[in-house]
Amino acid sequence: MTTLRLPVEADLETFNRWMADTRVRRAHSVWQEPAMPATWKERLKETAKDKMDVLWSIDTADRLIGLVFGSFWSVTQLGFAVRQLVIDPDDWRRGYGFDAALALHRYLFDYLDIPRVGVEIRADNLAAVRIAERLGYVEYARGHEVHYRDGAYVDEIQLFMDKNAWDERWGATEREYASRLAADATR
Amino acid sequence: MFGPRLDGDRGVSLVPPTIEHFKLHIQWIVQPEVGRFWGPRFGELTDERQEERFKKTGEDETQIMWTIAFQDEPVGWTGIFDIDWVRRDGESGIIIGRHDLFGRGIASEAVRLRTDFAWREMRLHRVHNWIAFSNRGSRRANEKSGYKQMGLYRKSFFRSGDWYDEWLGEAYPHTFPERR
Repeated sequence: MTTLRLPVEADLETFNRWMADTRVRRAHSVWQEPAMPATWKERLKETAKDKMDVLWSIDTADRLIGLVFGSFWSVTQLGFAVRQLVIDPDDWRRGYGFDAALALHRYLFDYLDIPRVGVEIRADNLAAVRIAERLGYVEYARGHEVHYRDGAYVDEIQLFMDKNAWDERWGATEREYASRLAADATR
Repeated sequence: MFGPRLDGDRGVSLVPPTIEHFKLHIQWIVQPEVGRFWGPRFGELTDERQEERFKKTGEDETQIMWTIAFQDEPVGWTGIFDIDWVRRDGESGIIIGRHDLFGRGIASEAVRLRTDFAWREMRLHRVHNWIAFSNRGSRRANEKSGYKQMGLYRKSFFRSGDWYDEWLGEAYPHTFPERR
């Protein structure tokens, strides 16, 4: 249903629109603040150069519908933090968020062999909480009154998922090269 | 940013760091006793890099940092980092670089001065941190200034053949104890 792909300059105007959308901003801290096109080009360049950060655009049927941004932890601590996964608010409630998240985690666990992935979610972002729980995330901390918007504070839930959880829940069905492996096995 | 001089009890004070203090960080963090619950004890540990860090830290408005002085000698550093001025939230940290001075209450007093400054001068809403669960001294120092546990992160990092859990804490102005 969705494809994570390399972001290109033509995506930036849409990224800017999402970062300015109050529905997106209510749901999550934004990866970047709205800015001039030249600033966005610079951000894309800087992100591409950074060896610890990764940005993907999310497509469905060759149409840009989202982005996902995350960071590897450090050279001595293998892990990945999902910083923000945005689906265009006009495309919410169609399953794109879960599908893109599944593709992302398939890549992280099955292809990169990352042992642990973490995410921080506002406690009232029920759609994101549901996606995380369905994937296999577990809560390890809850920050109280962390984010402020709409005149009130909201808690933040911190969750992680490790490779064992991935293997138990998704390992049998979600493989990066499933068809090729099957083909090789029959040769 | 560098924080102003804050004088506390038992000969402990927080002072604005100097370039010479930053150069001491290298000697401190490579010692096994100091780095046990901290970094990997390697990296670009040169005076030139410390000069760059000193300049960047001084210019950075999303962090505030102090040198911890004990009887007017630099013995560590502390600060509040990644400050989000909209949420008024930041992540605190502390290192006592002189392990011969562990257990003397220096960290407790430094955390008290730092936390008091966060509420009374910076008007922060919240400060949070990650501390190795096995580092009882650091946890206790933070708890005395009102930090409460908000989570526990299992097997956070690997040292000397063992996995270490991390304790996640958070503090608010209303959790800061009144001075007797």
